Amino acid sequence: MTFSLARPSTIVEALRLLADDTEGPTAPLAGGTDLLLDLDDGRSTARRLVSLDKLPWKTLAWDGPRLNVGATLPLARLGSDATVRARLPGLSEGVDAVGSLALRHRATLGGNLGRAAPASDLLPILLAVDATVRLVGTAGRRELPVARFLRGSRQVDLAKDELIESVSIPEARLSTYVWQRVRPANDVSQVGVAVARSGSSASWRLALGGVLPVPTRIPEAEVHLTEERPRPEDVELAANAAATHARFVTDKRASEAYRRRLVATLVRRAVARAQIPPGER
Amino acid sequence: MTRSDAALKLRGGAEYGIDLEAPGMVHAVLVPAPVAAGALRSVDLAAARRAPGVVAAIGPADLAALLPHGGDPDRPVFPSTRILYRNQPVAAVAAETLAEARAAARLVRVDVEATPPLVDIEDRYPDWPTGLASDAPGVVAHVHARHGNLDAAFASAEFVHREVYRTSGIEHVALEPHACLAEVRDGHWRVRTTTQTPFGAREDAAEILGIPAESLEVEGTWVGGGFGSKGAAFLEPYALVLAAASGRPVRLAFGYRDEFFQGRSTLPAVIRLETSVRDGTITGRRVRLLLDTGSSLPGRDFATGYAIGFLLGPYRIPAFEVEGYAIQTNKPPFGPHRAPFAPQCVFAIDSHTDGLARRLGVDPVEFRLRHVWQAGDRTAFGQEVGPFGAIAGLERARTTVAEWRRTLPPGTGIGVGVGFWSTSTGAGGEVRLRLTPAELVIEQAEHEIGSGSIVRGLVAVAERLFGLPTERLRVVTTSTARDPYDSGVFGSRTVAALGRAIEAAGTAMLARLAERAKAKGTATLTVQDGKLAVGIGARSIPLSELLSAEELRDGLVVEGRHYGRSGAIDPSRVVEGSFYAYTDFTAAVHVAAVTVDRETGSVKVLRYAAFQDVGTTIDAGMFRGQVEGGVVMGLGSALTEETLWDPDGRMRNPGLLDYRIPTIAEVPEIEAVAIEGFPGAGPFGMKGLGEPPIIPVPAAVANAVADATGARVLELPLTPERVARALMVD
Repeated sequence: MTFSLARPSTIVEALRLLADDTEGPTAPLAGGTDLLLDLDDGRSTARRLVSLDKLPWKTLAWDGPRLNVGATLPLARLGSDATVRARLPGLSEGVDAVGSLALRHRATLGGNLGRAAPASDLLPILLAVDATVRLVGTAGRRELPVARFLRGSRQVDLAKDELIESVSIPEARLSTYVWQRVRPANDVSQVGVAVARSGSSASWRLALGGVLPVPTRIPEAEVHLTEERPRPEDVELAANAAATHARFVTDKRASEAYRRRLVATLVRRAVARAQIPPGER
Repeated sequence: MTRSDAALKLRGGAEYGIDLEAPGMVHAVLVPAPVAAGALRSVDLAAARRAPGVVAAIGPADLAALLPHGGDPDRPVFPSTRILYRNQPVAAVAAETLAEARAAARLVRVDVEATPPLVDIEDRYPDWPTGLASDAPGVVAHVHARHGNLDAAFASAEFVHREVYRTSGIEHVALEPHACLAEVRDGHWRVRTTTQTPFGAREDAAEILGIPAESLEVEGTWVGGGFGSKGAAFLEPYALVLAAASGRPVRLAFGYRDEFFQGRSTLPAVIRLETSVRDGTITGRRVRLLLDTGSSLPGRDFATGYAIGFLLGPYRIPAFEVEGYAIQTNKPPFGPHRAPFAPQCVFAIDSHTDGLARRLGVDPVEFRLRHVWQAGDRTAFGQEVGPFGAIAGLERARTTVAEWRRTLPPGTGIGVGVGFWSTSTGAGGEVRLRLTPAELVIEQAEHEIGSGSIVRGLVAVAERLFGLPTERLRVVTTSTARDPYDSGVFGSRTVAALGRAIEAAGTAMLARLAERAKAKGTATLTVQDGKLAVGIGARSIPLSELLSAEELRDGLVVEGRHYGRSGAIDPSRVVEGSFYAYTDFTAAVHVAAVTVDRETGSVKVLRYAAFQDVGTTIDAGMFRGQVEGGVVMGLGSALTEETLWDPDGRMRNPGLLDYRIPTIAEVPEIEAVAIEGFPGAGPFGMKGLGEPPIIPVPAAVANAVADATGARVLELPLTPERVARALMVD
């Protein structure tokens, strides 16, 4: 693995470097916890990395009912924020599920979004709370829902000369993220389920991860979850709908049949858990 | 506990394989076979030889010129006709830098006429192979034994409990990958390497290279974990032929992925068990074992006959028949992994035993107490059982089970597993003691592999033998050119076998000193006025008065050896193949408490207790370290660790992301209890402890899961998905 490393101090310089492939394929580098593995395995052909560590994006701020998370804020800082845990418990739980604490000191929310891994532990909750991603590029700034930003397995709507600047996340005190793994700690989730209900929405939103090709909301399940405290029979309908309508694959981490069964179980658990105050979970 | 290596290791001063360097050193890379099976048509090295920085690029055709006698025809350094597993090294390149060597290795063109590989033994033998000849294609070993009237036992049984167990391949996951540095100069072949067996690696490498063992010198380094992976020669022959070809010192080091690709560990098996019962007692057993032996060669299977012993003990079985086949597949060769294959066999047999007890409505611990060996019993192969702590361990386990039933929450499953082992002192060991007025030096061949057996175990034995303080004892290791012979750090033998050699040398040394002092009575060593002295009765004589001028300079040297003896098995019970006798009988009785998530199948281990039959505790800290380490490693085999293979012979999880060893978050509180008073083969009656603590772990966990759920999981590891599937069936 050989690459050159650029560390621009301004956004303009970073975008200019990203657009310039004369030194070989170029890629942005945030925490590097995913990209460096790909480089080591030859899955990434990048020869120049543009580090974002000097950009002013390690930020965390509330703007009324929305949380703005800078793209390069280490996940460990997001996970240890008490206000986030109270107002967006599902996000904190997603962060807790990413790798190990040591890894979370490197990994970032922007990197997790940009890399768009099928088994990401953060994308399901970002989908369930209807977060938006703010992009900056040579052509200017734009903002779009995470659901539209994700295009497919490891594919996102991001131009070559464009970067994730921040993520805007609406408060959702009723939210949670639950997962299943072969090994509880430091493993890739076989299935992850996020549910959330925010003030304005007519129903709960529900999103699945670990179910290829990309984390996805399941509207067929959400329609059963209109009540703030859904009745057990509605939860059952939602669980079965999620298990029916999601696409499942068999891979080295789990069989299709097991994933299907897990989805139903985890939907039931997620809806129940989301109604428990964060401090009592 | 005093670990003399602790400060050195904490400061990063210990030299491991990857740290080795020499002036003019070049870097080597192995060229992997691109498919798992096929006929090798050609290996074209021309482009690699022209690549920048390359000093040598060699393949099958180059061996004859490099090796004076052509090497071992059965085990060529590079294959010349047939590819046996994916990534099998078919050529090697050495270059000035590692990057250049890697780039050149990619230029080697390997032309193979691929054939469909055999990856899963059950693809070839979906049913038990009947009447399969021992020399049938793909059969590497066949073992068969019987005793008593099994037909009658089955005919008169109230029922026969029949089950089929499956176990998975596992890897060693030593922290340190393999690495060595080889030099060949004036017919002197020398390799510095990270090895559990300097002499074993020398003999093995010399045989592969076809050179006399005396012309090869192996010098060990500190070893960052062995677990059986660093036994026989592995990287050394490749590095040595490259050194011969290039005339330069050659470093060859594996990356972590290579460790998985090259394997040499436990592979999958199918174990069929049938046990007949009458009046609550086991009357007979039929065992059939199909063992995936990877690309092991005929005559090189060590596991099959050995494993079968674990399927017939440690319980009294009046009549039995066992038959096992080792089947060749297109995977790396089977190799030893901490207590080779014993945890898998004990998982099968002690799950089976536990299930039998439950089927009979008898408490599983009581059922084991009714059947378990005690001194004076005979093993299935007719060997008399020596002092054995299983009953004592089971009685402790019974108390623990009762206490946990009272104190742990309802729904907790509690299971017991019983394993046994034998200290492998049968393989020889020698030491050289060197006594000066300043200290007693123990010169021997083994390097510390992490357990503490060398830096602490041998010192602890010497402390107890001579009554000397730690700081007057020192263990020294150099290389096979100077050290006394020893057969290796394996089989839980190190402290037992070398300890007995120290005992033999020490006894001779003390006798000689007593003779020189013209004294009657037993001599001891003491410290007097800061110097070593000889104590005889009430007298104390400074060593300086008893040693010659030469000895005062070089030390009084006395050698000692221990070539232990196994008991004998009854040959009339053997139909075909090799079975093993034991030197001693070591019990391990473990208790696990688990909760099972009935919907997801996740198993959480809450508590763990290990009752270990140690003979005598030599060092309490080492005891705790070995038991905790063995239990944690066993929890990995029980719950999460398995190698996965694609049908084309490609390993699907060659890394620590999807090959899951336990993290500290999965490790419960472990209670480690020594059972003493049943002496074994080592000094002071100690028994080896490197392997026994891993053996019953998968069984104890599986039995706890069965206790919690009523469902029996018949396959290792007990991943959530397997447990969930077992619960659905029930």
